Amino acid sequence: MDTSMEQDQVPFLSSSSHGIDMIEGEMSSSSNRTNQNGLSTLDEPVIDTIKRDLGAVFRKFGYAVIPRHSSTLLQQWDLWGPLILVTTLAILLQSSATKSSTGVQFAEVFTLMLIGSIAVTVNSQLLGGKISFFQSVCVLGYCLLPLLLSAFINNILLYIPTKSTIPILHIIRFLIVMTAFAWTMYASVRFLGQTQHPNRRMLVLYPIFLFYFLIAWLIILHAHPK
Amino acid sequence: MFSSDGFLSDKFSNKGPGQTHIFTSFPNSAVDPDDDSSLDNKSNNDQLYGYNPSNTEQLPLPATVNNTKNEQLNIWQIEYYQKYFQIDTQQILERLVASITPRPNKSYFNSTIRQNPDLYGPFWVCITFIVTVAIGGNILTYFRTPDTEFQIDFSKITLSALLICFYWWLMPTCIYFFFRWHLQRIEYIFIELLCIYGYSLTIFIPVSILWMIPITWLQWLLTILSSLISGSVLIVAFWPTVNSDPKRFNAISMLIILFAHLVMAISIMLVFFHISDTNMNEKKESIMISSTKSKV
Repeated sequence: MDTSMEQDQVPFLSSSSHGIDMIEGEMSSSSNRTNQNGLSTLDEPVIDTIKRDLGAVFRKFGYAVIPRHSSTLLQQWDLWGPLILVTTLAILLQSSATKSSTGVQFAEVFTLMLIGSIAVTVNSQLLGGKISFFQSVCVLGYCLLPLLLSAFINNILLYIPTKSTIPILHIIRFLIVMTAFAWTMYASVRFLGQTQHPNRRMLVLYPIFLFYFLIAWLIILHAHPK
Repeated sequence: MFSSDGFLSDKFSNKGPGQTHIFTSFPNSAVDPDDDSSLDNKSNNDQLYGYNPSNTEQLPLPATVNNTKNEQLNIWQIEYYQKYFQIDTQQILERLVASITPRPNKSYFNSTIRQNPDLYGPFWVCITFIVTVAIGGNILTYFRTPDTEFQIDFSKITLSALLICFYWWLMPTCIYFFFRWHLQRIEYIFIELLCIYGYSLTIFIPVSILWMIPITWLQWLLTILSSLISGSVLIVAFWPTVNSDPKRFNAISMLIILFAHLVMAISIMLVFFHISDTNMNEKKESIMISSTKSKV
């Protein structure tokens, strides 16, 4: 920034008594993102915005599935991923025979997950964690991906006809969902466990465990109507 | 140069003619929490995590020890409730163990909770109880109905949540008002009562998992045993206060507390886990009908 004060080598507080000079220059702030063409992001084609945001969402999915040390998930949080995951999971968990109560069931599951993530986040904040509300909701939502995959597999396995005396299919489904639950816990512990003092880490991780445990049992107990 | 709390502070070293600034304290955001080499910087670590340690060596200090300023906090701010969450994992575990082992001489209340009532323990014990009751009730019906008819009963979650939270708040309210009007002094603040009652529900968590075993006499036995144990913990906690009063309601009030506890346990068991004989007969009939159909 070139100013007309460059001949002033004295510090600001003890400036001499010539009046206020005009300061001119260019300011480029980092919040006004521009791409290489120099257009601001409001003017770019919609497809570019969608591609960029979708890319960010998928990248975060990758981080949630294979937990690496990265601060992207925490610092550039967004709520698209959690929304997609929770909505898909709520649709998959519908099992009513009548059409009229499917809406109620969807609302129940969705509300349950919403209240659960809010409770876990508020708990972590109350215990003194240095994480903001939306960051925590973002991480909890993204880490749901393994459970969602297990719900897919669960639904597919339920189409296999089985004699009810042999519970082998139940055991397989149980094991798959529990593996996904363990994976989810591992991923969220990697991200959220670091934000707390070691003396209180278990106090913060236990509600997360409870939340994912409840969702895992909802998936296991889900059954198709014939 | 700047404040000593978290920003720059210079140390001038006397090497050479120029001044070398050594930054000794960093703003909290610059410390990488995953950096294991900062273990020697423990106080910085504490500040980073916003950790307000509750003294475990001596009696825990009151809430003025934490580093938030003494401003007027209203109930809409989260910092208002932080003073009820000044607790460590170790202390929580101690309180949980103490709430399932009644000791007639020592009231665990006076030694642990009174100095530092917390809301973490009771709240999450209640939530765990709600979750185990809801899941257990659903599992029990899952194994009892044929596969084609089972649906997850979400209303179990809401019903158990209502019942348990209602009990957890109702009894302390009654006791608080009883102490205020009848004994005319405030022995326990409301938070402490919530604490006691919340921790007393601890024993029901493993019991609610055992309630899934569909043997009727076992369920009743578990109910009575567990409500006796947690009821006696409650009585031990309240006895010193009530006993010092010459009025004759002491024994009756203790019995009422025990009775209410028993009623709560029995009602949860009956609503969520009970197998009545009529249900068993229906199941046998449906199995016989389906087997005769398959023969035909």
